[in-house]
Amino acid sequence: MPGWYYDKKELRNTPSAQDGIDYKTEMRYRKEACCCLFLAGKVEETPKKCKDIIKTARGLLTEQKFTTFGEDPKEEMKKTVMTLERILLQTIKFDLQVEHPYQYLLKYAKCLKGDKVKLQKMVQMAWTFVNDSLCTTLALQWEPEIIAVALMYLAGKLSKFEVVDWIGRSPKHLRWWDMFVEDVTMDLLEDICHQKKNYQGWLFSFSSHTGYLKGRDPITHKINTECFQNEYSIYILKQTQALHLIALHRHFKSQGQATPANPVKTSNGQEKSHSPDQPLPINIKIPPPSPPMCHHFLIRHLQELHLL
Amino acid sequence: MAQLGTVSTSKYRGYEGLNRIGRGAHGTVYRAKDKQTGKDVALKKVFVPLTEDGIPMSTLREIALLRQLNSHNHPNIVKLFDICHGQQFEKHLIMYLVFEHVEQDLSTYIERNSRGFSTLQIRSLSKEILDGVDFLHSNRIVHRDLKPQNLLVTHDGHVKLADFGLAKTYDFEMRLTSVVVTLWYRAPEVLLGLPYATPVDIWSVGCIIVELYCLKPLFCGATEGDQLSKIFRVLGKPREDEWPEELVTIKWDSFDVINQIRINQICPNMCETAYDLIMSMLTFDPNKRITALEALNHPYFKEEPINT
Repeated sequence: MPGWYYDKKELRNTPSAQDGIDYKTEMRYRKEACCCLFLAGKVEETPKKCKDIIKTARGLLTEQKFTTFGEDPKEEMKKTVMTLERILLQTIKFDLQVEHPYQYLLKYAKCLKGDKVKLQKMVQMAWTFVNDSLCTTLALQWEPEIIAVALMYLAGKLSKFEVVDWIGRSPKHLRWWDMFVEDVTMDLLEDICHQKKNYQGWLFSFSSHTGYLKGRDPITHKINTECFQNEYSIYILKQTQALHLIALHRHFKSQGQATPANPVKTSNGQEKSHSPDQPLPINIKIPPPSPPMCHHFLIRHLQELHLL
Repeated sequence: MAQLGTVSTSKYRGYEGLNRIGRGAHGTVYRAKDKQTGKDVALKKVFVPLTEDGIPMSTLREIALLRQLNSHNHPNIVKLFDICHGQQFEKHLIMYLVFEHVEQDLSTYIERNSRGFSTLQIRSLSKEILDGVDFLHSNRIVHRDLKPQNLLVTHDGHVKLADFGLAKTYDFEMRLTSVVVTLWYRAPEVLLGLPYATPVDIWSVGCIIVELYCLKPLFCGATEGDQLSKIFRVLGKPREDEWPEELVTIKWDSFDVINQIRINQICPNMCETAYDLIMSMLTFDPNKRITALEALNHPYFKEEPINT
């Protein structure tokens, strides 16, 4: 069954980046993007109706562009999304569980010793970084454990919290993370953190990059022209799954609630989301409060990713 | 064989259908040959309903979970090799889950050992069944239909649980096929139509362990009511205050227990510790029934077995 961690170079050097993509192909990508959002919604337990996704797409495209989907663009589009869903699932063999770094972040934080307030601040910051990292390609390159370590390392540096002691320390452990992950060097962490900081440069313009790799029949391993773009569909699916969490997070934020998944507590024990006045370390656009309509969030994320 | 054609004539030419195994109530398992490895596999045909919004979330969840479970490589769980799509119809999609093929199930294994099992064998089989059940339960899966027919036994005598995790998807298929499902291993709460959870599997395992001792099914009821009276004849009627009067339509008074026969009378070869474990598995109140983990820590699995 397919694996999906990529080298930095592989992610940058997409086949579609090398080749010009014609208009028709781009249309197909748009449909595929809709399908990924549709499936990701179902998988992440925040389903969107197919017709709502299409409506959103319609709202974002010019009438002329939308009609290129066919005679009856809405029906045509819906049919395509349904077929693509089947093909996407076939391609990724139902491997839909995306492991996020959050649980590791908490697990590691529990082992660290030091000033409680400073530690809390560091974990809080790292948590925010994990949220932000969902907009990057990090999840396609590294296991969640390593991302958690890297972002805790970055948060530690920025909040000036140096980990000198931890529970379970043994003489062979040079750094605290040696206890959890093997062969993670400082250089590697620096590299990951650097990528995260420049993440906007890392965001692909989906419309021109969504897949160009020739799909292969997963069983015969023959090129399957129907099977759409194996690796990139996985890429988009994972990305949209991650995005979904962000959408949710922002949704709760705009409603003035803490993200339910965020367990960081203030000193008086109350839960809080990352405070709005805390400057975000990177230039992330926080949308203004808006009505809690699902497709509004979708629109925004689609726009941010230049999906549509 | 007509349905098999869809596997071999579809674009998935990786498997060659051999024959229908027809194991279990769902009756749609085929033996096939993996053309690449030459090994036998079991193809489970699953009907996936297609709704207005594509593949239902419950099916996505179930198959994704099966895939995730598989990555743990539990020795007492049947391996899932692959997932393929078959034909697509307007209202449903046929999918094939490709599992490892195990030659016999516990039911045939019992038949072939007409002279009975040694106490050591029974203990080892029971432990493996419980290990598998405990693994499912800790992954929040209730098997719901444990019986000798879906406990597979490898040529070297190890047990592997099969046919689980598709409860929601099956519900759809059952409505289509109206197959008769055996009641013999059903827990009282299921027979009474009450809400149920993991304890139902423990009940089934209790019945199966007794079957290992006396080589024939313990309770062979024809209807729900008949099944309950067969149960009470052996275990005694539950106390009146244990009867969920307000929740069930069947009255406590409607059962008469005459000529009670106890399990150790049916199975004279059963030792005291085994009897104690079985009685705690066949407890009427599901909340008082032993759990899989507790059962694995029962003295029965710790003490030297006495040969009876």
